[in-house]
Amino acid sequence: MVEAAEQEVQHYSEYAIEEFLVRAEPYYRAVGDEMELFSAAYQQHIPVLLKGPTGCGKTRFVEYMAWKLGRPMTVIREQQNGGGAQEVREGEVRVPLVTIACHEDLTASDLVGRYLLDADGTRWIDGPMTRAVKAGAILYLDEVVEARKDTTVLIHPLTDHRRILPVEKTGSIIEADDRFLLCISYNPGYQSALKDLKHSTRQRFISIEFNYPPREIEREIIQQESGCTEEQADSLAKLGEKIRNLEDHGLQEGASTRLLIYAGRLISEGIPPRRACQVAIVWTLTDEPELQRSLEEVTSSIFE
Amino acid sequence: MTSSAPTPEIELELAKLPPAVLEAYQESLGPVGGAFGPDEVGLWAKEGVSIGSQTIRSWEAAIEYYRVSPHVCRFLSFPSFMQWARCGTYLAQDSPTLAVAFFKSSVAIVPNLRPQYIPRWAGLGRSLYKGTWKSSTLAAKFFEVSPELVRSLPFWDVEVFASLVEALSYKSYDVASECLTLGKDVLPGMGREREPFLAMARALIDTSWREVKTCLELVPRALQHVDEAQTGRFLKLGERLAKVGLRDTSRFLSDGTQALGRVPSGSQGYILDLCDQLAAVAPEAVPPFLRSLDSVLTRITVSQLDTWYQHGMRLLQDNPESGIAFFKIESNTSESMLETLSSSLELDRVKGILRLYCRALSGAGVEILNTKELVRRNIGWIDEDSASTDGSKVFLPPVVDHYSNKQDNFSWFKVVSTHQVGHLEFGSFEFLFDKQATQFEDRRHGMEEEINARRAEELAARRAMADMARELAGEDAEVTFVEVGPEGAASAPESPGSMRTYTDIGRFLAMFENGKLAFDLFTVLEDCRLDYRIKVEYPGISRASSRVQTETLERRPKIEDMPIQQAMVELLIHMSLERFSGLPVPEEYEEAAVMLSRILHQLRTAAANVEDTAEATLRAYEIISRLPNQTEEEDQWDEQDLEEPGEFNEEEFQDLIDRLQADMEQRSEGQEGDESYESPEPVDYRGDFKPEMVQLLTRLQADSGEQGEAQPMTQEMLEQLLQESDELELDAEQGDITDSMTTFAQNIMKEAGAPPPNSQPGQGYGPLLHDDDQGGELETREPQTFLYDEWDFRANDYKPRWCIVKEKTVEEGDINFYQDALKNYQSLSNHIRRQFELIMPESMRKTYRLIDGEDLDLNATLEAWVDLKMKIPPDDKIYWHRNRNRRDVAVVFLLDMSASTAEAIDEGRQTVDDRDAPDDPVEYMVWLRRRREGLVRRNYKRIIDLEKESTALLVQALESIGDTYGIYGFSGYGRENVEFYVIKDISEGFGDKVKRRIDKITPLHATRMGAAIRHAITKLENQDAHTKIMFLVSDGRPQDRGYSREGVEKEYAVHDTHMALVEARQKSITPFCLTVDKAGHDYLKSMCGDMGYEVLGEIWSLPERLPMLYRELTARRFVRR
Repeated sequence: MVEAAEQEVQHYSEYAIEEFLVRAEPYYRAVGDEMELFSAAYQQHIPVLLKGPTGCGKTRFVEYMAWKLGRPMTVIREQQNGGGAQEVREGEVRVPLVTIACHEDLTASDLVGRYLLDADGTRWIDGPMTRAVKAGAILYLDEVVEARKDTTVLIHPLTDHRRILPVEKTGSIIEADDRFLLCISYNPGYQSALKDLKHSTRQRFISIEFNYPPREIEREIIQQESGCTEEQADSLAKLGEKIRNLEDHGLQEGASTRLLIYAGRLISEGIPPRRACQVAIVWTLTDEPELQRSLEEVTSSIFE
Repeated sequence: MTSSAPTPEIELELAKLPPAVLEAYQESLGPVGGAFGPDEVGLWAKEGVSIGSQTIRSWEAAIEYYRVSPHVCRFLSFPSFMQWARCGTYLAQDSPTLAVAFFKSSVAIVPNLRPQYIPRWAGLGRSLYKGTWKSSTLAAKFFEVSPELVRSLPFWDVEVFASLVEALSYKSYDVASECLTLGKDVLPGMGREREPFLAMARALIDTSWREVKTCLELVPRALQHVDEAQTGRFLKLGERLAKVGLRDTSRFLSDGTQALGRVPSGSQGYILDLCDQLAAVAPEAVPPFLRSLDSVLTRITVSQLDTWYQHGMRLLQDNPESGIAFFKIESNTSESMLETLSSSLELDRVKGILRLYCRALSGAGVEILNTKELVRRNIGWIDEDSASTDGSKVFLPPVVDHYSNKQDNFSWFKVVSTHQVGHLEFGSFEFLFDKQATQFEDRRHGMEEEINARRAEELAARRAMADMARELAGEDAEVTFVEVGPEGAASAPESPGSMRTYTDIGRFLAMFENGKLAFDLFTVLEDCRLDYRIKVEYPGISRASSRVQTETLERRPKIEDMPIQQAMVELLIHMSLERFSGLPVPEEYEEAAVMLSRILHQLRTAAANVEDTAEATLRAYEIISRLPNQTEEEDQWDEQDLEEPGEFNEEEFQDLIDRLQADMEQRSEGQEGDESYESPEPVDYRGDFKPEMVQLLTRLQADSGEQGEAQPMTQEMLEQLLQESDELELDAEQGDITDSMTTFAQNIMKEAGAPPPNSQPGQGYGPLLHDDDQGGELETREPQTFLYDEWDFRANDYKPRWCIVKEKTVEEGDINFYQDALKNYQSLSNHIRRQFELIMPESMRKTYRLIDGEDLDLNATLEAWVDLKMKIPPDDKIYWHRNRNRRDVAVVFLLDMSASTAEAIDEGRQTVDDRDAPDDPVEYMVWLRRRREGLVRRNYKRIIDLEKESTALLVQALESIGDTYGIYGFSGYGRENVEFYVIKDISEGFGDKVKRRIDKITPLHATRMGAAIRHAITKLENQDAHTKIMFLVSDGRPQDRGYSREGVEKEYAVHDTHMALVEARQKSITPFCLTVDKAGHDYLKSMCGDMGYEVLGEIWSLPERLPMLYRELTARRFVRR
């Protein structure tokens, strides 16, 4: 069976979560001093809260910083299932990145770990947070307000001077690796009375605010990411800017950089720009016919 | 046998007649004897004999008489009975057949006919009898059908119908007889329209009696298309047409109703108005009009119809032939008019789209308004057709019909609004005198100093003159600045003499001697800069705008015909419209033209700003003002290509100026004879550009907001400023100018006093259209009254504290209503309760086989254990979990208690078809029961009754699941009196009190929905529930005084309600509208937007549908775990 598996050509890579390293340099275009801030916080073990609207580059930023902050690490064992695992040579510069997208059913035990039945009884399995703490990774909790309230119990001891993770079920406490850093993200746009970050939690982080980049930078990003021409990228950035003007006038959220890039990619695949913007931006943003029509008029003014 | 006394003689008498008579007599003797006394029986018996002996065959009538007597006598007192019998006797005298028919029908008719009408009824039959065989058949037939008629028609209508039949019978007995049968079937089904229908039929007899039958056949189907309220009018129209001898009334009936049926509901009355007007002028035009209506309305809207109609009306008055052709759409005029109307685009329709478009482009809260609005404000704009902007709003003309299709007309709107927004986006109004230009060297400051110096000199000279004069006159009166001010225009910038320095643009434009020329140049150059910018920034629109530019160019005047100065300005306009080749240039001033073109080209770059425009203006002015304003000979013009005139260069420019200056000085010694400078014709699509006014308004607003130390501008100062400005083109004669100037100044001050956009809710402006707007904000003094804003879509703003909502608790009535309602709908109520109870367990059920949970799911655990033993990977879903998500719903029901809910529900219609009987047995029973109820209780039911019953059912259902709920009714009259009735307050417990209140829900006044909704929002807002729902049950569109009249107000009400619903949603309340108004789709769509609503097709389903809808609405929200 093993042989058969080896013969199959694998088209995917599979890593243990703490071994997932950002290997190639991700593209990230700094808008302000966020890189310096993040590095400083990392050196000083200060947890970081990233605020910003959807698709403005928070996750990409964390990836980039994980790559950038990488430094010599001690041995990390190779995972058993072959192909995808990376060989990490000693002295190579890497910081693993563990990303957890939070959702409303995410419980503390999903993060810490749980006992599972084994042939000979039960076996403890570490959750992703425990693994990140042990491996000294950057732990990135995306959309943290979505997670259940009991997760804050875990976040608190990890984010103050103690840097410990109490594992209730095993009755143990894990001291975080020196390289460990907790980073959470949060979208103030969704903010409602029900889902807000508690102040006791908030005040354990420094906050870096993100917003959609200014037009020139956004153009650069779109062009880089989508491979369309500079002119097209500029038009897309212009469109983004115009659409965001409508944020308080009917649109719940403006077009994210990500959507603009999607449109750019469609364009570079040969889809006519107006159509690309319609499917990637207009229809994605709203279902209201009048608003759609207005956005399409803006699109048709900008693109030929 | 007490009454055997008269028997012997009677029987002897009867024995003379055929034996069957005696038999019939003997058979009935018993029952009749039971009803009447002996003497009376004797009279009864005798009457039979008398009937039998009238004519040879009247014994048949006698048999019938005796036979029916036992039945008839139960309903009539003896005198009435004898009256009846005698009627029969008379009839028997004329025709036994008639008498037989009379007696036969009597059985069925007496229970429904008042005794005193019996003779009249007999008389009706008699009148149909003309002594012929055919007429007797007809009369007999009349008696035959009359029970049916009398049962469902008022007797009066029966009489009218009978006389109609009689009149017909003079023409043809066959037709009369057929109509009689038809009438029996058709007339009972009619409501209020019966009377006018009969009148119409009556009118037809004289002109075209054959139509009557067809009309009778058509009418039931035809009138279905017409609003109930309008059928009467429609038929009256028919009558009128019939009276003037119009043929083809039946065709009119079918075509007309069909046409009306296609008209948007609510407009039928309007169409009938038009028909009436037409009928007054030329009745024969009405049918063609109605026939064309359908196809016309597919092309234009009802509001556009008027224009088309009025045109036809005028034609009709001049020449009936052509008018009728017009309405038949058989004339070119009609066709082309429709063409134009159908392709024209009304601003109102696309306003929403354009608003968002402009906001997106400008990034500011721009509003789109009608140009009329701007003119009405009377602050200096006078042209109703030109687009413009005042810095925060874009004004567009109300209708565009330049092109033959809507698409093109829309792109015109787009081009125009893009240009106006361009003023905002690319900063036309942000001109700062001290800001650096990017393409030109600074020349403004130098020039200003120069001019100030010169003016100071002049001033000093004048002062000296004045001093001398004073010395001479020996007066010591002061001669102030201001007195010399107007002629001397602006003086030093800091001096209070000229007010124009108040704005930067004013300061700039004040430097020029020929203000008009300078302003025209500034306008054309700035527009040129903008159009170029737009072309670069928005390439997508360039095709449309090039088209507009090309068309504009075609309409420009010929350059060659103008005097040089104007020709040069026109040249610039041509170039700004992207025409660079083949331009006529006077040979003599070719260099100047090239230089102008170079200056213009400097602006055709993305980096150019409004200060560049100013510098360009300055230079262009310096050139043009040095040219003579004279007309050149035709052969002095040369075609030039100015696409690439070369780079602009300050030295070359200076050289040119020097040369021109020299020329000018030389010239001034010679001939005089320059024409005075005239402004060029405006470029349509660019609209009105008034930078100084905009800067002024902004500045005034800012100043009034600040209340700072800065000296506030007085009205006099403002007037002076306006007088100096070149932007105001006053048509008025010299004398009026000061007057209108004062008005302007006052208006502008008012305008500026209003808070700047986007700050607080303003008060709106402009003369408002309805009387309700009189007065302003309201105050509450009584307890339990609340104030709410109201949305004014015209001003796009709230009217602050506009409505008073008075909260009252409904009186308590009879508790039986509640119980009866439940009893009457018992099966439905059980069904609903079962459905509702099903919701509950869902929320507390254990869920098995989960990855995580409260405890191990033993079954799954064992399986997993076995798997492990067998070395098979086990399933890890081995926990169970109790779903603790409690149902957490708060809901408010708002019931419409307006007067219209008192309307009876037409039960006749309900029986129309049985096809929609539900398949589900439970529902079927419900359905059946409901039907039966409808049939049993023939007394009518009102909409409100159904609302009440539904409420009872709903309350019961809600109690079973324990949601928090409140039930309120609303009505009121006028904005200061919106009544909000509490049936069950949201925080109140359920009990007998509530049950009693339900009984007292009654139709009251009007419906101002917006305010009621806002109050309901307040109620819900204080609830701490996960899901909040507001359920609105209504019977029609919102209506109130000053809230709902035809036209704008109607829209106003719908917009306000929509806004209120939007507010609800913003407060995370889910609104849902349920209406029983079949015509509800048209306005609900705009009222509810993407929020939920339902139009109940069948009002009877309300009690069933309401709870079910509620269940669906809340259940859907609860699927999350």
